[in-house]
Amino acid sequence: MSRPSRSPFESLGRRIAPWLLPIAVLLAWELSSRFGWLSTRVLPEPLAVVKAFWNLALSGEMGQHVATSTWRALSGFAIGGGLGLALGLLTGSLRSAETLLDSTLQMVRNIPTLALIPLVILWFGIEESAKLFLVSLGVFFPVYINTFHGIRSVDKGLIEMARSYGLSGWALYRHVILPGALPSILVGVRFSLGFMWVILIVAETISAQAGIGYMTMNAREFLQTDVVLVGILLYALLGKLADVLAKGLERWWLRWHPSYQPAA
Amino acid sequence: MLPTQIEFQGLAFAGDAAPAVPHATPRRSAPAGIALQLDGLSKLFGEREVLADIDLRVEPGEFVAIVGRSGCGKSTLLRLVAGLEQASRGGLKLDGEPLAQHRRDLRFMFQDARLLPWKRVIDNIALGLETPDAHGRALQALAQVGLADRANDWPAVLSGGQRQRVALARALVHAPRLLLLDEPLGALDALTRIEMQSLIESLWKRHGFTALLVTHDVSEAVALADRVLLIEDHRVALDERIALPRPRSRGNAAFAALEERVLQRVLQAPGGDAPETLPPIADWQFAV
Repeated sequence: MSRPSRSPFESLGRRIAPWLLPIAVLLAWELSSRFGWLSTRVLPEPLAVVKAFWNLALSGEMGQHVATSTWRALSGFAIGGGLGLALGLLTGSLRSAETLLDSTLQMVRNIPTLALIPLVILWFGIEESAKLFLVSLGVFFPVYINTFHGIRSVDKGLIEMARSYGLSGWALYRHVILPGALPSILVGVRFSLGFMWVILIVAETISAQAGIGYMTMNAREFLQTDVVLVGILLYALLGKLADVLAKGLERWWLRWHPSYQPAA
Repeated sequence: MLPTQIEFQGLAFAGDAAPAVPHATPRRSAPAGIALQLDGLSKLFGEREVLADIDLRVEPGEFVAIVGRSGCGKSTLLRLVAGLEQASRGGLKLDGEPLAQHRRDLRFMFQDARLLPWKRVIDNIALGLETPDAHGRALQALAQVGLADRANDWPAVLSGGQRQRVALARALVHAPRLLLLDEPLGALDALTRIEMQSLIESLWKRHGFTALLVTHDVSEAVALADRVLLIEDHRVALDERIALPRPRSRGNAAFAALEERVLQRVLQAPGGDAPETLPPIADWQFAV
């Protein structure tokens, strides 16, 4: 879409406009804390949050917690997502696997992952494996369902064409079925990345000896609201980062897709 | 990504109006057309009979067009020959041997181009090619359809006519001995269609494959084919030899007369006791 040319002032105004409200909120927040209208027990002033962020970053404490949480998130994602992808490919490709597995998996899917927490604590205690299990389980279903759906919705005409051109087995899979299912699989991946952080936050809040959740729960004990806010900010940043990465992946892998091509 | 050399080759042909052939066309040991023989071929979908006792002989290198009303089974016949459907009864032989031994010798061109949208044009053409020079051959085939400069484009940015050209190149790169065309030009505009027809004719002449073209356009059938078959009531109702010299011009009186005759025959109410072949008309021979 080409817009009619505007004056530079007008286009600058357009860029700034979306930021006006957040800046105003921050200012109001800062001012109300300074004048004592807002207790630091409820919300610390924004500058204090920035300072806490800075101190935690300098001391290396934050790096360690972020690394622990990221490691938990990624390993859970790798296990759950990998299993979801594998089973989705299996049930999507083989009718017999579908009849055998799919209805069971759909039943399990209807159990909210977080409802399993008491059971998970009984099974795994409060160790790492409990968190890994919860994240893996939460990440599994979006990937599984979208992979299954992606495989099933590959254009039958393209498969017929490829077969008539002599492709079969792995070659057919690699050149036609997998790329055809990829847009759907990536939707599942993006969805599960969002879910991954939600579950991790809850799991880390229950109990942990390290990680962002541990940091915030610890800070709560000592009424350090600024550190609690730093933790919340970190989760937000990491979630955004994961989404940006997934988007970038989509843009690269689906660059053939008309909706990802630069307008001519 | 492609090596630079191929990139350069691609650019070298860019802008050539006439399809250029970069090297002499490589002919493999068993070139040219294949003979096709159908004996009492029948196809039923459930209870419904689509084709009944089709007997047909096609000579190597012959261009046969199949016309008929929609739903008459002409596409099914083509799909049977391609092995995309299984015949309910009857035999199908290529060079006197069963179809299974000649799968590599036949290629199918669909009504929609069926290019893989996630592969660039050049990789679409090289699909299923396992030789080490696959890229070079694909580029050569692309040059033959006049699109060498589009090798690195995504199919999504091509026009309908260009997509069908790529599909044609993809079929030709395998040096097929039998090319099956299932209304490949049906969705194109009139001008692009005429361009494609002459492209198909020139490539058929150069490579000498046997061609089976299903079309609903009688004019297209008369323009391209050595023989026009009409399928009606599940059978071959007309087998008309088109003896016009090539290249054929549509303005020609004999062309128009022949087209009109076939068209009239197609439009006749099905079930009527039409003659197997039409009485010859005297005047067209003088007209050419």
